[in-house]
Amino acid sequence: MILWWLGDAILLLVVLPIVIYLLAGVQRAAKSIPEKVEGISKVAAAGSRDLNAVPLLLTTQDQVIKTVAGVANYGGSLDVILDDV
Amino acid sequence: MALFAVAAAGVVTILAVVLIVLVLVVYLVSIILHLRKITAGLAEVMGGVGEIVQKSAPVNGVVKTINEQLDTGVDLLEGLLVKKAGIDDALGLIDGIYPGSAASGFRKFPESRTTKPPRIAEVYTRGTLTLARLGREAPIAAASPSGPALRNAEYGSAAAAKLYPEARQARPSSHPRSPVVGTASPIQYGPSPPDTISWGRAAPEPAEPEAPAPEPPAAAEPEAPAPEPPAASEPQVPAPEPTAPAEPTTISWKRG
Repeated sequence: MILWWLGDAILLLVVLPIVIYLLAGVQRAAKSIPEKVEGISKVAAAGSRDLNAVPLLLTTQDQVIKTVAGVANYGGSLDVILDDV
Repeated sequence: MALFAVAAAGVVTILAVVLIVLVLVVYLVSIILHLRKITAGLAEVMGGVGEIVQKSAPVNGVVKTINEQLDTGVDLLEGLLVKKAGIDDALGLIDGIYPGSAASGFRKFPESRTTKPPRIAEVYTRGTLTLARLGREAPIAAASPSGPALRNAEYGSAAAAKLYPEARQARPSSHPRSPVVGTASPIQYGPSPPDTISWGRAAPEPAEPEAPAPEPPAAAEPEAPAPEPPAASEPQVPAPEPTAPAEPTTISWKRG
């Protein structure tokens, strides 16, 4: 009988607080995750908007190719006009 | 009494278990709700991340192409500069425009990293350097970098003149002096009537034959004959249209 009461006491005074403590910790962690997910979602949306200018890189690529071709033409002209050392 | 004690202990045990189960249910339900929120939020995040991945997919190839093109341009310009100015003067020019950049040298010329750049920019501006290099092949950096500055800022023209061969300078000592004008001058110029030109005559030495006035060099140069106007009696023929095609002249910059 004493052991039974002792078991009840352990159940109420030890097991129950431990269960509550552990579950409260898990709940706190789970509760904090949605806020961070919302932050990540906002950042992802902003990053996606920032990348809207990426297609312009294709224009930049074409312009660079044309510019280098022009530089090559000028260089060829200078190579003809100027004497070597 | 004993039965009551056993019943009380059993009730307490049951209450404790029920209490624990209730706590578990409450907390686990709360956690489940939070996990559902997390799942919904992650789905939204995945949409944004998918857009980022999709939009940034071609960046690598485009940037790589741009870098390759720019590298080609840099190599071309460096090679041209070294070919035309030489490694020493090229380094001096680069270091003059961007001080300290000559330390890294040219990418395609490893020896440029150990070459000491001449102090070209200390004494010459970019325009001077360009004109000197283009026009006269001046040995600007001949005395640099170990020698003194080539150009004195106060007497820049005299210092620059020493850079070039004497034949190019055409010193005044080899030229006749400027004519003397006035009443005591050896050549007297009379008043010229209007609309006429009176050339000077040597007054004190009339016996000396007059040298024919040299024609200006421009007159000696052959000029394209001006087209004669058509005679009045000739029937006017319409000018033939040019047979040459109207295409623009194409200039090839490559060496033949």
